[in-house]
Amino acid sequence: MIRFLAKRLGQAIVVILLVTVIVFLLLHSVPGGPARGILGPQASPQAIAAFNHEHGFDKSLVQQYWAFLSRLLHGDLGDSYTLNQSVGSLIGQRLPKTLVLTGLSTLVALVIAIPLGVWQGRRRRGLTDYTVTTLVFVGYATPVFFLALILVIVFTEKIPILPPQAPQAQTLGALFADSRALILPVLAGAIATVAAFSRYMRSAVLDNLAEDYVRTARAKGASERRVVWLHIMRNSLTPIIAMLGYYLPVLFSGALVIESVFNYPGMGLLFWNAAQTSDYPILLGTVLVIALATVIGSLLADIVQALVDPRVRGSIR
Amino acid sequence: MSDRTKGETVSDSPALAIEDLHVSFSGSGGSGKVRAVDGVSIRVDPGEIVAVVGESGSGKSVTSMSTLGLLPPTASTSGSVRVGGVDVTTLDGPALRAVRGSEIAMVFQEPMTALNPAFTVGWQVAEALRLHIDGLSRKQALDRAAELLETVGIRDARRRLGQYPHELSGGLRQRVMIAMAIACEPKVLIADEATTALDVTVQAEILDLLRDLRERFGTAMLVITHNMGVVADIADRVVVMYQGKVVEEAPVEELFAGPRADYTKRLLGAVPRLRPRGDERTGEPAVAGEPAAPGEAALAIENLVVQFRGKGGAKVRAVDNVSLTVAKGEVLGLVGESGSGKSTLGRAAIGLITPASGTVRLLGDSLTGARGSALRRLRRRCGIVFQDPASSLDPRMTVGDCIAEPLVINKVGDRDERVVALLESVRLDPAVRLRYPHELSGGQRQRIGIARALALDPDLVIADEPTSALDVSVQAAVLDVFLELQARLGFACLFITHDLAVVGLVSDRVAVLNQGKLVEEGPRDQVLFDPREDYTRRLISSAPVPDPVEQRERRARAAELRAARD
Amino acid sequence: MTVSAPLMTEQAPATTAAGPYRRMVRMFLANRLAVTGLVILGLLLVFCFIGPLIHHTDQVHTQLADATLSPGTRGHLLGTDDVGRDVLGRLMVGGQTSLEIGIAAGLLATLIGTVWGAISGYAGGWIDAVMMRVVDAGIAIPALFLLLVTATILRPTVPVQILIIGCVSWLVPARLVRAEALSLRSRDYVQAMKAMGGGHGRAVFRHVIPNAIGTVVVNATFQVADAILLIAYVSFLGLGVAPPKTDWGGMLSKGISYTSEGYWWLIFPAGLAIVLVVCAFNCIGDGLRDAFEVRLQGR
Repeated sequence: MIRFLAKRLGQAIVVILLVTVIVFLLLHSVPGGPARGILGPQASPQAIAAFNHEHGFDKSLVQQYWAFLSRLLHGDLGDSYTLNQSVGSLIGQRLPKTLVLTGLSTLVALVIAIPLGVWQGRRRRGLTDYTVTTLVFVGYATPVFFLALILVIVFTEKIPILPPQAPQAQTLGALFADSRALILPVLAGAIATVAAFSRYMRSAVLDNLAEDYVRTARAKGASERRVVWLHIMRNSLTPIIAMLGYYLPVLFSGALVIESVFNYPGMGLLFWNAAQTSDYPILLGTVLVIALATVIGSLLADIVQALVDPRVRGSIR
Repeated sequence: MSDRTKGETVSDSPALAIEDLHVSFSGSGGSGKVRAVDGVSIRVDPGEIVAVVGESGSGKSVTSMSTLGLLPPTASTSGSVRVGGVDVTTLDGPALRAVRGSEIAMVFQEPMTALNPAFTVGWQVAEALRLHIDGLSRKQALDRAAELLETVGIRDARRRLGQYPHELSGGLRQRVMIAMAIACEPKVLIADEATTALDVTVQAEILDLLRDLRERFGTAMLVITHNMGVVADIADRVVVMYQGKVVEEAPVEELFAGPRADYTKRLLGAVPRLRPRGDERTGEPAVAGEPAAPGEAALAIENLVVQFRGKGGAKVRAVDNVSLTVAKGEVLGLVGESGSGKSTLGRAAIGLITPASGTVRLLGDSLTGARGSALRRLRRRCGIVFQDPASSLDPRMTVGDCIAEPLVINKVGDRDERVVALLESVRLDPAVRLRYPHELSGGQRQRIGIARALALDPDLVIADEPTSALDVSVQAAVLDVFLELQARLGFACLFITHDLAVVGLVSDRVAVLNQGKLVEEGPRDQVLFDPREDYTRRLISSAPVPDPVEQRERRARAAELRAARD
Repeated sequence: MTVSAPLMTEQAPATTAAGPYRRMVRMFLANRLAVTGLVILGLLLVFCFIGPLIHHTDQVHTQLADATLSPGTRGHLLGTDDVGRDVLGRLMVGGQTSLEIGIAAGLLATLIGTVWGAISGYAGGWIDAVMMRVVDAGIAIPALFLLLVTATILRPTVPVQILIIGCVSWLVPARLVRAEALSLRSRDYVQAMKAMGGGHGRAVFRHVIPNAIGTVVVNATFQVADAILLIAYVSFLGLGVAPPKTDWGGMLSKGISYTSEGYWWLIFPAGLAIVLVVCAFNCIGDGLRDAFEVRLQGR
């Protein structure tokens, strides 16, 4: 187990380093470089040269990367061009809210998708399977923003029972206090992921139904319900956890869109506003933090998988 | 068989009575029905062991599945299957489940996949109990499960309860399956190819266990198998199936002594038997039993070691300091059980696996040091035939392209002509070269594998279990082709197999491998009929022979051998 | 042994010598969802690329006098947008952009991913480890974020969008093909080919990639669907192709400002078009998967 952890951790660190290289290269392809961003488009070439020298931007790429990396290690993500604040503190305020939003909608999605997928897998090729499959396809094909718009139109215009804007509170506690306003953003995120998760679950159940151990359980006299909900569910847990790990980037992308539609004050909205104003420190800082979260997330998924599945546990001992 | 005289050896109520069973499957495209079982009647009395034999497609497994109502929904069934007087085919839902596992239970072929990988062995055995016995607490069920594991001969049962299937060996897993099957003391136990996936020594133990359970509990057993040796070893009565029909039914001695149906005669004729040389393979140049001098050997392996990284990163020696030679024109049979390293050795011999140490010389040239074009030149002189005909041919290439590939790689001209000649030499219609592998049968595909191996006129052929995936009748035909070609072309061959009878049929000399080490090597008759090593003796005595009378004697001898060892 | 002829003719699988592909086509056509998808895609292609030849509209100049006309007025079947352009015609032109970028980027991603994955999986060892860490790093950065950052750096024209989307979305096919290659490289026919003296190039391009083609083709359709969605997201977030060109996501993005006015024709036609085309590609992909699986069972 320790060997496995060490190896997996080593991989994660390599991946994070590669991410920093990508972000660093992106930062360098910004037109005019950081100098123009901070000094503004009217800055004279002399001023830019002076700025570059002062901040070490005239050094070699490797030296600059090294400086960039050591700043990152000290938690320094730079300062926003437009918001007069450090990127670190901006993200620190916003990240928990995004995690709450994605966490809630993923939870709702799992609660709906797992039973739905299992149910579909059992009724394969029936009329109900076709109907649900079609719905799931449509759900999967609907862009999150379109879905969100429809929800807004239906629940705030046609049947006005919910507010069209997400809670604008500063603290997490206040966020939950205005929980009615949370419903639409969470729902939009959940519906979008239900489609993907339930399809995944359906095929996991179908794969497992063909396994020999299912026949053994039936031969023992176990009921179909027991076969599916006990024997098959237990074996489908591992792929679900793995899927959650892989799905993190998609979840974050979804959050970006939902936050911009509902004006939800999370990382996504921060990022979107920064994209409108070309505030590169925020853009790249957010990318770094999200990549980090993704790497840590899939690392956790792997570890949980190893703890849950006796086969994986056995092979890494 | 309808001409059975009633009331002769038969008690009043059979444990299992299959009557006029018909099973057909509707095709996937909705087109046409495939008849899998066509009017089968089988009767098993309490305490009796009936074997159902047949090759693939005979309908024997479908018959066994129908006794528990385990057929897929695409199957339609008529006729009756009575277990203790109740017709299973009329049941469904809770009534059917009440019968499954308690009245009639089943042991399957592949114990690794037949057990649920996510639950402990103890939980799974306990489940079999808790499903049928009301008010049994978890603790009581586990206690009973431990007793059951002891009953099926698992030592240290308490500890095993907490283990997962992947932590057990194949033999132990099959014992767990049996423990689960007998948990509720069913009247009928069905063993569907229950020993097929196991090594012969383990197979012998499992067959002993089944016999023992019959003695102790009087369980009626229906043993489904393709292995005539297993039939001879365990059955009281035999039912032979062919294309969904029962072609013959007789007590075991009668069947082997005087088969009546044509099919049975042909089937028994095709089963290879282990006999001293002399009655077959005549007109062969007698090859000296002594190993040839390394210079003239087709293949010379010296002190070969192959290592793999095992669990937790520890290095495992798959081949451990083995030295072997195959003389020109000679067939060396390499025998071993699963995990003995025989396939690894075969692949290392042709340079597909890099050894940790030791040398391999092909026709006097060192293979172990060769790189690039020198390696390619050496490889040109070898051919290899694999076990699984389904995966040894690229499904995206036509048969002709598959056979021509070695010619293309080595830039040999006149390919079409050569492909046709090769197909004819393995007795296939040259027209098949335009077809794809999946359109051919297993036996045909294996012949194509042989044709490809011979495309470059090799001096050495490595044959890795080339007939293990085939039915006996097909195996007989493929081996026949192989032997004829070997006699005609005179290539040397390293023939790897787990089947002692096949080794006896093809080899001039035999080498025995166990856990990566060479146990014994020598002339065929000496190793197979007068082995020097204990392991070889045990291996040979474990393999059941297709003759019930002889097999009974062998069993007694094997028991003595074991008693002497303990 | 004296058995010279086979005992009984073995039952070969009942197929004709027509090659493996005819049966796949039949399987595909038997899948109702897949055929529906194919028909929808065909109709959408006709609508976007041939439609403008029949329904002539001015999509360049603004006509403020005709702004936000409701459907059916003055010959505008789907009304007009906020600067007076015909929505039906705009839907056609926008669709061209969405489909061009989606299909080209999806195929580009599949191509890169297939080669990368096949080499990585076939090579194994440290080459595989290095190549896969690169993929992990790419996957860790959500494509949408990367796309928005690059859109602020480069002016988003159609070729640039194709290139960028292709370059950020090859990671998933790379992973899939690599998994396939990992199992294919130990197949006996690859081993046999190596034993005959064949090289690595032949192994990858003659055996591994052709046998992974099922995965590749199926994934390509999903890649196209995802690329169309991705481009819609980018445009919706206001960083898509520059006007007067537009795409379906961009049309929706404008429509969002008018939700409270009830100008539904600025939202629903474009939104439904995206749903339709993505659905169509996914249905086709599903049908292809079934068709390939049957072929695999048959061998």
